[in-house]
Amino acid sequence: MMNPMLTLDVVKFELARSMTFGRTAIWFVLALFPVILISVLRLNDVPLDPVEPWGIMLYFLVPEVISLLGLLLWATPAISTEIEGQTWIYLAMRQSGRTYVLLGKYITAVLWTLSAAILSTTACIVVMGPAGGFRLWAVMCALSVLSCFAHASLYVLIGSIFFRRTMVTAVFYTIAIEYGLSFVPAVANKLTINYRLRGLLSNWMDWEQARSAAENVFGSEPSWVHLVVLAIMTMVLLGAAIIRIGRGEFPTQQEG
Amino acid sequence: MIRLNHVSKMYGEVIGVNDLTIDLPDGAFGVVGPNGSGKTTLINLMTGQLRPTLGQVEVFGSDPWRHRRLLRRIGLCPATDVLYPNVTARQWVTYQVRLHGIEQRQCRELALESLELVGMTANMDRPMGTYSLGMRQRTKIAQAIAHRPDLLILHEPYNGLDPVGRYQMTELLKTWATDGKSLLFASHVLHEIEAITSSFLLIFGGRLLASGTASEIEQILADTPQEVSLFGPDAPALIHRLADQSWVESLQLLDDRKELRVSLRDPVALYSRLAEWVNEDGLRIERFQTADGNLTAVFESLLRHHRGET
Repeated sequence: MMNPMLTLDVVKFELARSMTFGRTAIWFVLALFPVILISVLRLNDVPLDPVEPWGIMLYFLVPEVISLLGLLLWATPAISTEIEGQTWIYLAMRQSGRTYVLLGKYITAVLWTLSAAILSTTACIVVMGPAGGFRLWAVMCALSVLSCFAHASLYVLIGSIFFRRTMVTAVFYTIAIEYGLSFVPAVANKLTINYRLRGLLSNWMDWEQARSAAENVFGSEPSWVHLVVLAIMTMVLLGAAIIRIGRGEFPTQQEG
Repeated sequence: MIRLNHVSKMYGEVIGVNDLTIDLPDGAFGVVGPNGSGKTTLINLMTGQLRPTLGQVEVFGSDPWRHRRLLRRIGLCPATDVLYPNVTARQWVTYQVRLHGIEQRQCRELALESLELVGMTANMDRPMGTYSLGMRQRTKIAQAIAHRPDLLILHEPYNGLDPVGRYQMTELLKTWATDGKSLLFASHVLHEIEAITSSFLLIFGGRLLASGTASEIEQILADTPQEVSLFGPDAPALIHRLADQSWVESLQLLDDRKELRVSLRDPVALYSRLAEWVNEDGLRIERFQTADGNLTAVFESLLRHHRGET
């Protein structure tokens, strides 16, 4: 039986602990760089019509780059930092420690990244002016939410399996699978998170032209299929991470 | 309280502990062994952090690997440091107790009580990054006892404590033991444990070499050849005196012929005659070291006894 209040307390602890100058600085950099890019293009009078290229760029910058970078930094090493810092044993010695610490760290990583993504989206839409509009903002925010939850579950699973070379493995996976395989016109690309997000982008923005030009990139399934697959992927990946953390043997300290 | 039945733990091809069989009733026990002897592996097996490769582990009648609820009855103070620099002791101990699923308000009360018990009340609202090693050590003890466990396991708890801190820690652990709660105290320093309990488990090379009270272990040692080292420029000149003695097992010259290591079946015979030989032959012997002053030598003696070589 899950205890949501306990998860919330772990999130509170992790948020308080992670509120450092370094992390806040990275958060600002993540949130601001798409805004700077969009601003530079606007200053150079790049036309806003048609809006599709701007939307695709915004999608690439926020739900993909910001989400992936933020989660690579904050979700992937969630467990490995405790193991490397030799503090894992304190958490693992608690009756509910392993599962709730993983869930709490997962949600904390999502909150940090999602807040940067939503701030960035909002600022970018403001810079784009009326051409951006509420619809693009709402779609980007929704895609950021989905991207953060799905990618975070993927990265915590990678972090719980490969706790020694966590970042290298996660970066390799991201480049090879989420950016390589997701563009390959085959059944395998349907198993990537980014393929599903791109499908939702074209569906929710009604970009039929973009979809028909690159069906392997944007897919042709209805939105509910993408949502169900993303939900299943998130739950399966997170569930696998919880099982792995719950039943795994992890180094606790130097042998004595 | 704790039962290990022919337990072995392998890390790939490396043996962590080897065929350990232990049956400990409630009470206070010391686990003594040099660094790398298998103490951490043993503690990790007892706390369900590792699954034995062979054999069965039971704590309070349950397998700690399978039944995480058992952790509610165990408090562990590991040897490793706590590195949460911007978290206060109060926040951290409360959080640790909360992870047992205990209600938030009760967690705060339990954390305050335990921090008071270890003398951290005055500093508990400061970030742990500003603490001395001794203060962090006390905070570690506080998190181990805060949820009121039935069994407290401590791994090198005196690390970083000053003499006053050591005294306070000893008093705290003595009170814990006299209150009827169980205690397992792992250290590589024998006298730290002797101050708390007289029951020991001696571990070396992943094996349980001996267990019992200090006098029982002394009896085993008395029946085991022990090594004595003689240091000085004339140490080699003692060889002709020792070579003929029936109670000498072996002689070894070390350290540029300045150390003579003697393995003895009857150390008392050496002690009674050494002064006489040194005096008669006019030898310069600067130092004399028995196995008692060298824990590794004691363990090596016990290992020979364990293998049946004596």
